[in-house]
Amino acid sequence: MKRIPLALVAVLGLVTTAGCTKKADNDEAAAAGKKPADVRIALIPGGAHPYFQPWKTTAATAKTDFTLGDVTFNETSGWDQTKQNDVVKSLAAQGYNAFGIFGVAPENINSTFEDLKRQGFPVASLASCPAGDVDKADFCLSTDVEQAAYKAAKAAIDAIGGSGTLAHLTGNKVDSNTQRRIAGVEKAVAETGGKVTIVQVVTDIDTDLQTAQKAVADLLAAKGSQISAIVNTAYNPAVAAAEGVAQTKLPIKVIAIDDDKTILDGIKDGSVAGTVLQNPVGQAMVGSYALMKLSGGCTMAQPGVEVDSGSFVVTKANVANYETDRQAKTDEIRKDFDSKYLVCQ
Amino acid sequence: MTAQLETPAPPDAPPRTPHRVPLWANPRVGLVVLLVALVVLFSVLRPAFLNTRLTLTPLQSDISVYLVVGLAQLSVLSLGHMNMAVGRMAATSAFTMGLVHDKLGAGLVLSLIAGLAVGALLGALAGLIISRTGVNSFVVTLAMDFALAGLITILYSGVTGGVAFPTMPAGMSELRSDTFADYCIGDVCGPRVPLVVPFAILAALLVGLLFRFSRLGREILMTGANQRAAELSGIPTKDRIVQAHAVSGLLAALGGFLLAANNGAFSASLGDSFLLPSFLAPVLGGTLLAGGAVSVLGTALGAALTQVIYKGLNLLQFQLDQLQLYIGLVLLAALSLDRARHVLAERRGNRA
Repeated sequence: MKRIPLALVAVLGLVTTAGCTKKADNDEAAAAGKKPADVRIALIPGGAHPYFQPWKTTAATAKTDFTLGDVTFNETSGWDQTKQNDVVKSLAAQGYNAFGIFGVAPENINSTFEDLKRQGFPVASLASCPAGDVDKADFCLSTDVEQAAYKAAKAAIDAIGGSGTLAHLTGNKVDSNTQRRIAGVEKAVAETGGKVTIVQVVTDIDTDLQTAQKAVADLLAAKGSQISAIVNTAYNPAVAAAEGVAQTKLPIKVIAIDDDKTILDGIKDGSVAGTVLQNPVGQAMVGSYALMKLSGGCTMAQPGVEVDSGSFVVTKANVANYETDRQAKTDEIRKDFDSKYLVCQ
Repeated sequence: MTAQLETPAPPDAPPRTPHRVPLWANPRVGLVVLLVALVVLFSVLRPAFLNTRLTLTPLQSDISVYLVVGLAQLSVLSLGHMNMAVGRMAATSAFTMGLVHDKLGAGLVLSLIAGLAVGALLGALAGLIISRTGVNSFVVTLAMDFALAGLITILYSGVTGGVAFPTMPAGMSELRSDTFADYCIGDVCGPRVPLVVPFAILAALLVGLLFRFSRLGREILMTGANQRAAELSGIPTKDRIVQAHAVSGLLAALGGFLLAANNGAFSASLGDSFLLPSFLAPVLGGTLLAGGAVSVLGTALGAALTQVIYKGLNLLQFQLDQLQLYIGLVLLAALSLDRARHVLAERRGNRA
């Protein structure tokens, strides 16, 4: 009986290797020359998350403003790279021909970008760049997460008067973006020359609000009296930390991320020292704009360029008018695409 | 190839007249009918379902991965056991493959063999603990899953400083992107079948042969059907438990390799989504959770069915909540129809 599988392996091996030549890779289709009405853009986040909700409304705005064929928003990837690849291919099969993607796994996403590029589709890496030095998308438009974490830590250090202890709450440890955030906070702390130290880095608590709330409660119970400030570089921990510190009334300065209502209310009433905002609307809007231009025949001056979509420290002083700064940044990035990043005939 | 087995009757049992199950009551036939019906339905609703490059080719790659993962679970379901660590075994094996390639410069074949060996060892370890301590396989493999989850993070951050290996062995990118249509002998090119598919077919054939024809496979099934009876028949049941779990670990490792090829990196999060599909494919295909009977062909059909449903609903652009709801409903309908068919067949059989 044992000879059957062995013989099978041998036959399969022979069939697949003997005398074969590989066909030239000629799958690449020309993306150029499409009118805006023929451009169908798919904006695909890694899964459902409050951060991406502005993409949904921006997709509709971009469709109208740029008179595009269609702009769809699909959040069904479920934080699984395999599922996301499936979603991307399904949308391509449906006739979508330009893609703005937040890759679930920054270390894998270049393969997905490469597949799409091979088929002639313009691709933007939105809200997160691939890990490593290579970006196979046409461009990456995202928050520089290390820089944003650095800004958040600096804001926290300022809020505690330049000396004390920090706790850092963040997302999934096996995510290269989390590693960059940890590096950003460490950089700001290192610059204090030992006056500020990190008490604890808590990872893997951005899955949902309950997980984050439990982790914050545990942290405050165990080390609440030793912590001067909490730096949050993920959404759910930020909301949980703002609530937790407000409830326990501990003298801890909280630096949050993004603009959830709890956080903005906290800034207004003083229980949250500040927050670092990102620019999801700008990412979706300028990303769609650049994808439209690439579909129309423009090329990237430097393929795979990384563009910072901006991060903004918001405190009580500017909580009323931060949206103006954010809109100004979005306009500025769009102008930069026209003048620097895109080459159009 | 059908590889379903039923518990062999004990040697001294009175001869049983075989109870002929009508063709329509065979669960595999039901799955084929359902599969064809869904493919027709999705193709009518969305002609893009028949797009070779963007739908059918990736679909074959996905089915290949989940078939192998399903077989990994089937190997221990044969004992009436579970392998809750199927995803982490895949991830740990993929780490080994990445390590052997990245640090020792090994090629594709050597990296794959090293990864498969680690998978088999992990499986054997789980089997050893289960057989020697008598602790339930659910508990042992769940504990192993937790331990490996931590270990993988530590290993990746220690070795790569991140969460993935930056390089892949030569040939992995071809495994991901090429089909046999890319390879020609003269003017004759192969079919548009991804290069990962033969791995899954070979795994299915070998598992089928193991359980249908080999003494080892039949003894594993006997152990699963009734461990005490198997022991009294002289079967070294503890060894069989270790061996079945080793096969499960080996197949989990192969599943991890295929997923790494499809996704493009050996990474720490690989295999996170293996657990539910690993049960779904064999159970849909007629493998008993209680042990003693397996169906390789059914597992292949179960894997194909779940991936077709997922792909079809994706093409129909269901939103997240609807997608989950409909996947659940379709699977529930599939299982209920299967059960109804089975009960009907039993009744007719009893009347005859």
